[in-house]
Amino acid sequence: MDTRVILSGLYRYLLLTLQLNFRSKQALVYGYLMPVFFLLAFASVFRSDTPLLVPEMGQILTITILGGACIGLPTAMVAERERGVWRRYRLLPVGTGTLVAGTLAVRIVIVAGAVVLQIGLARLIYGTPFPQHPVQAAGAFLVVTASFLGLGLLVAALADDVPAVQALGQCLFLPMILIGGVGVPLAALPVWAQRIAGFMPGRYAVDALQRCFNDSRGLAGAGFSLAALAVIGTAAGVVGAGLLRWDAGRRLGRAGRLGIAAALSSWVAVGAAAALTGRLQPTLPYDTAYEDITDGQIADISYADLPGDNELVTRLAPPFKDGRAPAGMAEFTYRLRDWPPGRLDDPGQSIRNLLSVASIADLRADPREAEMARVVFNELQRRYTPDQLRHVLAWIILRPDDGTVIGYAPELGLPLHAPTRLVRVRCALYAQKYLGRLLGKIRD
Amino acid sequence: MSALLPIAVGVRDLTKRYDQVEAIRGVTFAVAAGEIFGLLGPNGSGKTTTLECILGLRRPDAGAITLDGVDAIAQPERARRRVGAQLQAAALQDKITPRQALKLFAAFYRAPAGIDELIGRFALAAKADAPFDSLSSGQRQRLFLALAFVNRPQVLVLDEPTAGLDPQARRKLHQIIAGVRAAGQTVLLSTHDLAEAHHLCDRIGILDGGRLIAVARPADLIAGGATPPRVAVKTARPLTAAQVGALAAVVNCQPREDGWLLGTTDAGRTIVALARLLEAEENPLLDLQIERPSLEDVFIELTGRAWSPPAPEDE
Repeated sequence: MDTRVILSGLYRYLLLTLQLNFRSKQALVYGYLMPVFFLLAFASVFRSDTPLLVPEMGQILTITILGGACIGLPTAMVAERERGVWRRYRLLPVGTGTLVAGTLAVRIVIVAGAVVLQIGLARLIYGTPFPQHPVQAAGAFLVVTASFLGLGLLVAALADDVPAVQALGQCLFLPMILIGGVGVPLAALPVWAQRIAGFMPGRYAVDALQRCFNDSRGLAGAGFSLAALAVIGTAAGVVGAGLLRWDAGRRLGRAGRLGIAAALSSWVAVGAAAALTGRLQPTLPYDTAYEDITDGQIADISYADLPGDNELVTRLAPPFKDGRAPAGMAEFTYRLRDWPPGRLDDPGQSIRNLLSVASIADLRADPREAEMARVVFNELQRRYTPDQLRHVLAWIILRPDDGTVIGYAPELGLPLHAPTRLVRVRCALYAQKYLGRLLGKIRD
Repeated sequence: MSALLPIAVGVRDLTKRYDQVEAIRGVTFAVAAGEIFGLLGPNGSGKTTTLECILGLRRPDAGAITLDGVDAIAQPERARRRVGAQLQAAALQDKITPRQALKLFAAFYRAPAGIDELIGRFALAAKADAPFDSLSSGQRQRLFLALAFVNRPQVLVLDEPTAGLDPQARRKLHQIIAGVRAAGQTVLLSTHDLAEAHHLCDRIGILDGGRLIAVARPADLIAGGATPPRVAVKTARPLTAAQVGALAAVVNCQPREDGWLLGTTDAGRTIVALARLLEAEENPLLDLQIERPSLEDVFIELTGRAWSPPAPEDE
């Protein structure tokens, strides 16, 4: 059969399904009214945001996509299967994969409509700015939606009837809403819940979408989140497509249980990868100051997988003999003490600036990078009380994107620019190395 | 089946199991081009399973199927292009209209039938733009039949096409199916309605317990049966068993509330003998009927069981 005929059939299927969707009161209520309700609910809860709703748009859109893909898609598919609609579709001279692809494409359009409606209404009612990176936002939407559609396909394959879809869908929806960083902001969750959220795709969906709204770097730092969504969505989609049933009478049995296990193993793999790469550090509220950091949060910081002191990244010289800098470092030490960005009234920003110095030297591969990092550490200990230093270093680790960083320091002999995006990453790593030493968790 | 006609549907040694249960076992038959072939059998006999295997909806455990010369197991999509089908337990979305459904299904074929032509042919004009959930069961069946014709198929597969229809809708569908034969298309249908099979089909295959136990023209099946014709007689005064048993060609007799049912090898001789007896006894004849053997009799002979009445859902 030629491709043109298949595409023409799928095009008509897409148009007709959309038309029927807009004729269904149930689909309109769940697909469009509920997302509007969530938008209004978030706006009434997070009234202090300026501009309103910007930090929550990732969550709001994730809820909409989650509902449309993980509950809306399987409800429609299973209801049609129960009625025998899919039996009739199967008589068409096209492969079942083609029809499933058509169904998923329709759902992407339906969910996209709800997302655009939310963004438009947020702008209209609350003046919420559009995403800073609209093209990346569209890309993130597609990745998130595709991932959740994979989960929706799995639910459609596993559920015997519509009530079972509701039960299975809620098993996905509710944990992500309550402790997965989707309904309740990650920063407002206890540390144990934040860790569990690292095993759920909702957290990564919120991260990817939110970055497109108010992170100047856009999706630049969202590689892990996008990969996590791809892994979880692909695993669920492959299992779901393999188990998909066209007849209401057929039961899955053991194959269903194995399918669930295979799909869930991708969640475990993603969570384990996040933990091993230090991505499950506690997240703090949006406007947390270093004074708000608690001893419990400091104690929860992990020092696993830090690069070694003699490795390529974040080198750190051993303590100087008698605590005095070697002869070649005297000039640098002297200048650092009087360096204005390190002597601001705000200790948090001052320490972040001093860490930037070590980071620039590291990124520009200065021959004295390890010694410079040691001088910075000595200077921090000389200037700040241990308690203050612990809190600021923890704040930099937990909120690497807060405040500002410096990209070059010619007055300290570091005239070459380093990318500030990388300086932030290095600052957090040096902060971990310093804090670990202060707490005795890393041997100096 | 004429040996000169090409085979439109060929089924050989078809077997399908569900878990440990064999739904059909070694089913073999062929349908010639232009023929109406009926699969007849009670609930659970394997009719729907056989048709679903032919349509590629179920993968058989063994056997071979050809549709218009195409291997339907190896190339199900190619085979489906040549077939129009109407299924039991199929439905459409509540709000889709017959016109939309026909346009949707037509879009998947290279040279589909005209939508307005199908709407007219299947008497759907009055409801062409009404939602599916507002159609009567007869209108729905006609719509599914129209969908089966959307690709101008050479072979039509119809699963219980008149199930659940009122007598008027049934007659209308029978006319449509008869028209299909007139147009030279092949029809393979399943039914558990003996009268329908007798009336519509050129040949029938009787399925029982997943096995095909007979294939022949309805008239040949009946003629080849062992059940004799019967003469039902009602008289003003009752006749005795000895009197009716002694009549010419009578092989058995059963009393009825107001007369006798006489099994006979020659209805003509029996009636002549009966007329002489009644005349001699001056016993007036009130009613007399000749009952020919039916497909039901053939089924009972073949299976040893009574025909089960149709149920709302089959298999």
